[in-house]
Amino acid sequence: MTLLELRGVGRRFGGVVAVDAMDMTVDEGEILGLMGANGAGKTTLFALIAGNLRPSAGEIHFRGWRIDGLRPDRVSRLGVARAFQIVRPFAGLSVLENVAVGSLFGTGRERSIRRAEERAMAVLEEVGLAARAADPAGTLTLAGRKRLEIARALATRPRLLLLDEVMAGLTPVEVSEALDMIQALRQRHGLTIIVIEHVMRALMRLCERLVVLHHGVKIAEGPPGEIAADPRVIEAYLGRARE
Amino acid sequence: MIGRHFRFAGLLGVAVAAFALVPRLGGDYAIGVALNLLMWIALTQSWVVLSAMTGYVSLGHAVFFGAGAYVMVLCFGSLPFWLSVIVAGAATGALALAVGYPCLRVRGPYFVILTFGLAELVKFVVINIEAGLGQFGRLLFGGPGLAQIFYVVLVLAALSVAVTWFVRRSRFGRGLRAIRENEEAAETLGIDVARFKVLAFALSAIVPGMVGAAMVLRTTYFEPLDLFNPITSFTIVSIAIIGGGDDVPGPIYGAFFLVLMQELLWANWPEVYMILLGGLLVAFVLGVPDGIHGRVAAWRRSRR
Repeated sequence: MTLLELRGVGRRFGGVVAVDAMDMTVDEGEILGLMGANGAGKTTLFALIAGNLRPSAGEIHFRGWRIDGLRPDRVSRLGVARAFQIVRPFAGLSVLENVAVGSLFGTGRERSIRRAEERAMAVLEEVGLAARAADPAGTLTLAGRKRLEIARALATRPRLLLLDEVMAGLTPVEVSEALDMIQALRQRHGLTIIVIEHVMRALMRLCERLVVLHHGVKIAEGPPGEIAADPRVIEAYLGRARE
Repeated sequence: MIGRHFRFAGLLGVAVAAFALVPRLGGDYAIGVALNLLMWIALTQSWVVLSAMTGYVSLGHAVFFGAGAYVMVLCFGSLPFWLSVIVAGAATGALALAVGYPCLRVRGPYFVILTFGLAELVKFVVINIEAGLGQFGRLLFGGPGLAQIFYVVLVLAALSVAVTWFVRRSRFGRGLRAIRENEEAAETLGIDVARFKVLAFALSAIVPGMVGAAMVLRTTYFEPLDLFNPITSFTIVSIAIIGGGDDVPGPIYGAFFLVLMQELLWANWPEVYMILLGGLLVAFVLGVPDGIHGRVAAWRRSRR
């Protein structure tokens, strides 16, 4: 079943076309990988889906509702959660308070602070941050902040989770742990996930299907094995071979 | 959780009862000092709900104080005193709702300057209305006595403390603090940031309007330049910085500290009062950025 559908979605900034006439569908329960070089339009696409940016063209449908042009808080309530590439912790609040904001608002919208914090604590256990619950979020390491970003998004009880380079800057061991964690979360919560990642091996291991963006245009789509052999992808990444 | 609320209500009750004794035991001077203290507590608690919790620093809260006073002037003689105070609070809350949405679209220094400009704008509008009506300062004779004004401001101070306490511990308050820490993240997690900010603005405007309405009767004279005085706005921010934090204790520490300074310095060296106050503010911003409340909290943690 289709959970998310993009029809001809575009976004320009002045004369620059960041995303152009993008068509894409995401099925319920799948993990889709988005790849492409820096500036290919991946993060812009997430901002369009999550409502942080309005598309200049096209339509976005989620669970049958048309969500393009809706404010981010409305989109969040419908079940989309976004983990930012550049982490945005509430640095002055504790780790637990950060995640509790997710359970108080978002899709779950828990009314009681006590129950929201219980739920937040359960999410912290899942991402391995429970021991740091009382610490100010500003004291976490980068790997910790990336996990906090995921935990906060997860606490909103989303149907669709957008993970934007949550493994960038992590050590290989941390990447491996993060991959296991994401797979476990997806199974336990029945999530649909779109992942943006530069770590190719991570995408290959995690995703059933990849979409490749180049200068705002979708140039390829398919299972990881096919994508790795696609000449257009190789050209976009490595340039044309000399005759 | 519930026990905490009971303990707070008990403490607040004891404090209100203690202050209620002042007019019975003390003379006009003691009542005046206590009234001054309660006024600053009420104004700063209200400011905290908006500015300390959301990070949108208002440098124009005198506008609500002055507008409330003006409502009292307009209602004077035709409505009972207490009803005029309530009308003033409703009017300043409505004023904040009306101007809040456009104002709260800008952040940081722009918001600060905007609130300051708004207060000056309303001040000159009132001056012009008064001039148009042929009024140059109004005398308000036959109003309530000092003790009656004192009790009203005591109730308002208690109300403002209760509002800060409950907002700080509510879901709404969690949303406001998330907005302060990172507005885009707050919005993406499902917080209706525009609505939250406007509601906080309105909530922070009601008590100052009522306090202004009560306090104008103390001077028995309405002069826009005094009641919309930017010094009022600056003093609120100074008390909040000296007191520190985004919770109930900060404004109370700050107001006690400031009123104590006023009584010591103003009485003895009025000419250096503002210089010393400025120096103290610089010292607090540089040396004690978390304010008295932050220091007290750190000291209590270290003793555990």
